[in-house]
Amino acid sequence: MKKKLLVSMVLILFLTLTAASVQAQDPIKIGAVNPLGDITGRQSTQAMELAVEQINENGGLLGRKVELVVVDSELRPEKGAGAIDKLATIDKVDFFVGGMSSGVHMAQIPTLKKYKKITVWAGAASHQAENAVGKDADWYFHLHPWDYQQGASYGRGWTQIAEKYPDLKVGKVFLAYEEGAFGSDSYKAYEQMFESAEDGEGPFKDIMDEFKGASFKSAAAGGGEYRAMLRQAKEYNPDLFIWAGYDADAIPMLGQAREVGFEPSLYVGAPPGWPKNFDSNPLSDGVILYGMWAPALNKVSEPAKEFWDAYVGKYQEKPATYFAPLGYTNIMYLAKAIEDAGTIEKAELIKSLKTTKYESPLGSTLEMSPSNVIQNQGFTEQKILQYQDGEQQVVWPFDVSTAELKFPFSW
Amino acid sequence: MSFSIKENKTILFALAFIIIVGFWQPNVLMDGIQRGSMYAVIALPLALVLGILGVLNLAHGEFLTVGLYISYMFYNRFNLDPLLSIIPVSIILLVFGGLIYLLTVKRVIKEGHLNQLLLTFGISMILLEGVKMIWTTRPRNVFTDYAYASASIGEFSFGTYGLIYLLIAVLVLVFLQLFLKKTRLGQATFAVGQNPKGARIVGINVNLVYLFVFSISIAILGIVGGAMLPRTAIFPAVGSPYSLKSFALAAMAGLGNLNGILFAGIILGIGEAIINAIPGYSGWADLVFFGVLIIVILTRAFREAR
Repeated sequence: MKKKLLVSMVLILFLTLTAASVQAQDPIKIGAVNPLGDITGRQSTQAMELAVEQINENGGLLGRKVELVVVDSELRPEKGAGAIDKLATIDKVDFFVGGMSSGVHMAQIPTLKKYKKITVWAGAASHQAENAVGKDADWYFHLHPWDYQQGASYGRGWTQIAEKYPDLKVGKVFLAYEEGAFGSDSYKAYEQMFESAEDGEGPFKDIMDEFKGASFKSAAAGGGEYRAMLRQAKEYNPDLFIWAGYDADAIPMLGQAREVGFEPSLYVGAPPGWPKNFDSNPLSDGVILYGMWAPALNKVSEPAKEFWDAYVGKYQEKPATYFAPLGYTNIMYLAKAIEDAGTIEKAELIKSLKTTKYESPLGSTLEMSPSNVIQNQGFTEQKILQYQDGEQQVVWPFDVSTAELKFPFSW
Repeated sequence: MSFSIKENKTILFALAFIIIVGFWQPNVLMDGIQRGSMYAVIALPLALVLGILGVLNLAHGEFLTVGLYISYMFYNRFNLDPLLSIIPVSIILLVFGGLIYLLTVKRVIKEGHLNQLLLTFGISMILLEGVKMIWTTRPRNVFTDYAYASASIGEFSFGTYGLIYLLIAVLVLVFLQLFLKKTRLGQATFAVGQNPKGARIVGINVNLVYLFVFSISIAILGIVGGAMLPRTAIFPAVGSPYSLKSFALAAMAGLGNLNGILFAGIILGIGEAIINAIPGYSGWADLVFFGVLIIVILTRAFREAR
């Protein structure tokens, strides 16, 4: 009897040790949700895969390989939410990363809350998404600046630029916005900033004197006729002309502005993405844009250069938008926090993520701080960039600027 | 060409409208004529297929998209000016349209309208997704200096390129009129459009006529694609909204009234330009476009009922 018991105990011990050993060899699984049909999402995913490859080449994390499981959201809310379910139940991932589009993310948030796994989310800028996450979600880490943080950073940027260039006026602002939700929300945001500025408050308080807006039908929605709106803008004669539409509007609007002889001092485009080869189009010279990254950062930031070289070397194509370095940052930041924590145990890793600092290829250091609602917000600022001679340059913040601002805008 | 009293009244009313707009806002008139001509030249091939074959081609806009992308390909690969690419692109689309007809449309030509709609809807989806797979969703543009050139008459300055649509629309109409009246195939086409059964009885090869008309209509979209490329961002869904507008114009002009499509296009283009020029009301442009369409159709129905 005693002999049988001893054999059983040895067997149980052996099986337990074997299971633990197998467990230790299992990869750390990161579940990513991105829209793969869109170049932004595709490149962001490629950058994530690059990061995972580099991590594994350096021995993985905590002695384990890292595996990236990618699901396509197709930029559709129901697909995006379903992707979280699939990653949690079928792929059994340890963490969620991604993604883009506030609309898709709004649908994902209830599912993320169901699983409460550590989530490091790269995209989605709408404050409505922030409200939906809420203040109690200590497992939720968000990288992209929220819309109101972006507005504040533009205000700071233009204030500092106006101080640096005394000949430059930015007080009279005209916003051309597409008729859909994106453009209308932009208009409301600028209108609120103007009202605050009139009351001596908000990010534009020292610089915005006058504000006017006009809508247009985006080419993406079957429009593409901007001349009437541009004539209104020309009559208003703004210092700062901003348009909030889509990538399909960028070149035709510039062309029609030239056609009607509209030359604002500063011409700013604020679409979510830019058309292919926009930089090589002669009409683009002098166009200002907002973004988190520009290829020219390679000249002033070592991590930006390292990322660029690795990405172009692996994929033989240039990153088109900041979502590529942001996707890379998404993985690398999580990996650094895991290494710092020495575990993937939830409470310990949350502590580590809150304190980890990561020098990102976006030209700024990523670290968490509370935002208006959530506990863990990463980046809080967009950069002001300008197309100059076929290249995107950073003109603000000045500490990472790669060129002086060119103005006035002219044909 | 002769007009009835009723048509004369309509034309006089339209001319008065155009003159008033011209004096009030010459820019609005010019924008409207240019935009409206573009709508018309895109709608003409749809009206042709609808009038002769009796098929509402829901893939109309996607064929235009294909024309735009092929024109872009010629520009990008061979540095061929978009206006010059009109020749090879229209030939390619002529053949492509012919193949699509023989492989698909021909099979449902005697079926009910629902099957035809489903078929052309399916073709539109395949073309749309095919374009996405080949060229991705990211918009592309070409740059030509002439696309945004402007001219001045006194103090009135206007963009000149949009007038190309008016020129193409007139040329296409003249070509179609000459073809329908002066050639045997044209007369056969006219006969098939009037009475396909009767045409078959007198020995006309109706299938050949259908093949020819469908191919020509797609080839015209190739011409339009080459002309649109210098001023248009192209992306997979770029042509889709024009299917509905083309159908609206064909309905407004009346079945088989090709000249009326240019007329209707210009009137609706001017109406749209007026709305766009009123600050804060540009969002109403589509409402006015389709509102005018409904009023015209109802008025016509009311007159016919009397």
